[in-house]
Amino acid sequence: MMASYHPLVKRLLDGEVSLAELPPELQAEGEEALRLVGAADRAPVALSPALEERVMTAVRSHAASPGNRAWRWLNTPREVELRLRVRPWTVWAGALAAAAGLALLLVGRPASGPGPGSEARGGTRDSVFVRFVLYAPGARRVAVAGTFNQWDRSAAPLVPAGTSGVWTTTLALPVGQHQYAFVVDGARWVVDPAAPAVDDGFGRRNSVVAVTAQGAQL
Amino acid sequence: MRTIGLALTLVLGSTLTGALSAQDVRAQLDGRVSPEVQRAVRGIAADAAARGLPVDPLVQKAIEGAAKGVPADRVIAAVRTLAGRLGEAREAVRAGGVAAPSGDVVEGGADALNAGISPRQVSDLVRVSQPPQDPALTLRVAATLAALGVPPKQALELVQGMISAGRSPSDLLGLPGQVQAGVGRGATPAQAAAGLARAAGGTPPGRIPDWVPPGQRRPRNPHKP
Repeated sequence: MMASYHPLVKRLLDGEVSLAELPPELQAEGEEALRLVGAADRAPVALSPALEERVMTAVRSHAASPGNRAWRWLNTPREVELRLRVRPWTVWAGALAAAAGLALLLVGRPASGPGPGSEARGGTRDSVFVRFVLYAPGARRVAVAGTFNQWDRSAAPLVPAGTSGVWTTTLALPVGQHQYAFVVDGARWVVDPAAPAVDDGFGRRNSVVAVTAQGAQL
Repeated sequence: MRTIGLALTLVLGSTLTGALSAQDVRAQLDGRVSPEVQRAVRGIAADAAARGLPVDPLVQKAIEGAAKGVPADRVIAAVRTLAGRLGEAREAVRAGGVAAPSGDVVEGGADALNAGISPRQVSDLVRVSQPPQDPALTLRVAATLAALGVPPKQALELVQGMISAGRSPSDLLGLPGQVQAGVGRGATPAQAAAGLARAAGGTPPGRIPDWVPPGQRRPRNPHKP
C-alpha cells in the first residue's frame, strides 16, 4: 500500500518533511501513514527448521528434472578452438575491404543537427512510460490531458488506487518536454502539485514533464 | 522554357502546400472548437502559413483553450499572440545562425520569448546549441526555467554552462525539475539555479578551487613556479 501514498506523504515517511508541513488535504493521509508505520511489528521472525527442509527438497527436485538438465547442457558456455590456415595477403585484402566499407557508411550518412530536417522534440522519438499520480479524494473521475494527446479530456483516464483518494495512470510519452494538466470530474483543471508549472496563455498554469531516455523528470 | 517550367512548379507546389495546410487545420479543429474560434484560427493559421510559420502550435493552442472551456475571444486572442511570437521567434532563431529553422525550433523560441527571454538571448542560445544539443530542447528548457522564476539571464547562463560542460540533452531536460526540487526545499528559484550552475561547472579533481571560504586565504598552487 506504500506505493499508493501521495509523494508528499512518502516524504513524510522518509522524515524529509513534518506532518505540520503537509497541506491540509494530506494531513489525514499523513497521520494514517504514520499510524500504520508505527504499528508495524518489527520483532524478528523465527522460521521453523521444517520449512527450510521443505524448500531445499523442492529446489533439489526442480534442479534434477530432465528438462532442466537439458537446458543447462544447451546453455553452458564451452571453449571452442578454431584453427585457420590463411595466406597473409588475404588478411590484408580483407582488412582493406572492411575499412572501405566503413568509410562508405560514414560518408554516405546524412548530417544530423539543428535545421529543417530536425523535427524531434529532444532529439529522438523514443517513448518512455511515465506514471501520473494525483491525490483527489472525493473525485468521481480524473484524466490527464496535454500536448501529448491534443488536450483530450477523455483520452487518458486515471484509475483510483484503492480507496485512498489517489488516482494513477501510466502513459507512453515521446522523449521531450510536455505540458499537461489533470481534469477532475470532467471540468476542473488541476495542475500537478509535484511538477513545475508554466503559464498556459489563458491565465492558468500547465504542468511540465520532461521525458528523457532514462525516464520522466518532474 | 526550363525557367518557366520551374516557376510553374514552384507556384503550383506552394499553392498545393497551402491548400493542404488549410485542410489539415479545418480537419483538426472540426468538432473541437466553436465555429467562431474555428473561423478566426483558420484565418490566423493561413496568414502564418503564408509567412512560412508553423501552423500546428496555433491549432494546438486553440484546441487547448476550447478543451479548458476558455471563452472564444480569449482563445482567439491567445492564438493571435502566439502567431506574433512565432514570427519574432523565427527571426531570433535565424539571427542565431539557423537559416531555415524547423517548426519545432520556432515553437521553442516562442515559448522562450513568452517566458520573458529576449530575442537576443534566444539567438545566443540557438548559437551555442550545436549537436548533440537540439535548439528546440534548449529553448524549451530555458523557457521553463524562466517560467519557474529563474531570472532569464541566469536561466540562459545555466543552460549555456551545462552545454559548455558537455552535459547531455537529458541532463538539460532535468534542470526545471531540479530547480523545482530546490524551491521545494526552501531556496528561491535563483538560488536553486545558482546551485545547479555551480554543480555543472564544478572544479575538476586536482584543481585549486576559485572559491575561498570567508576569512581564509587562497591556497598556493604547488605546481606554479
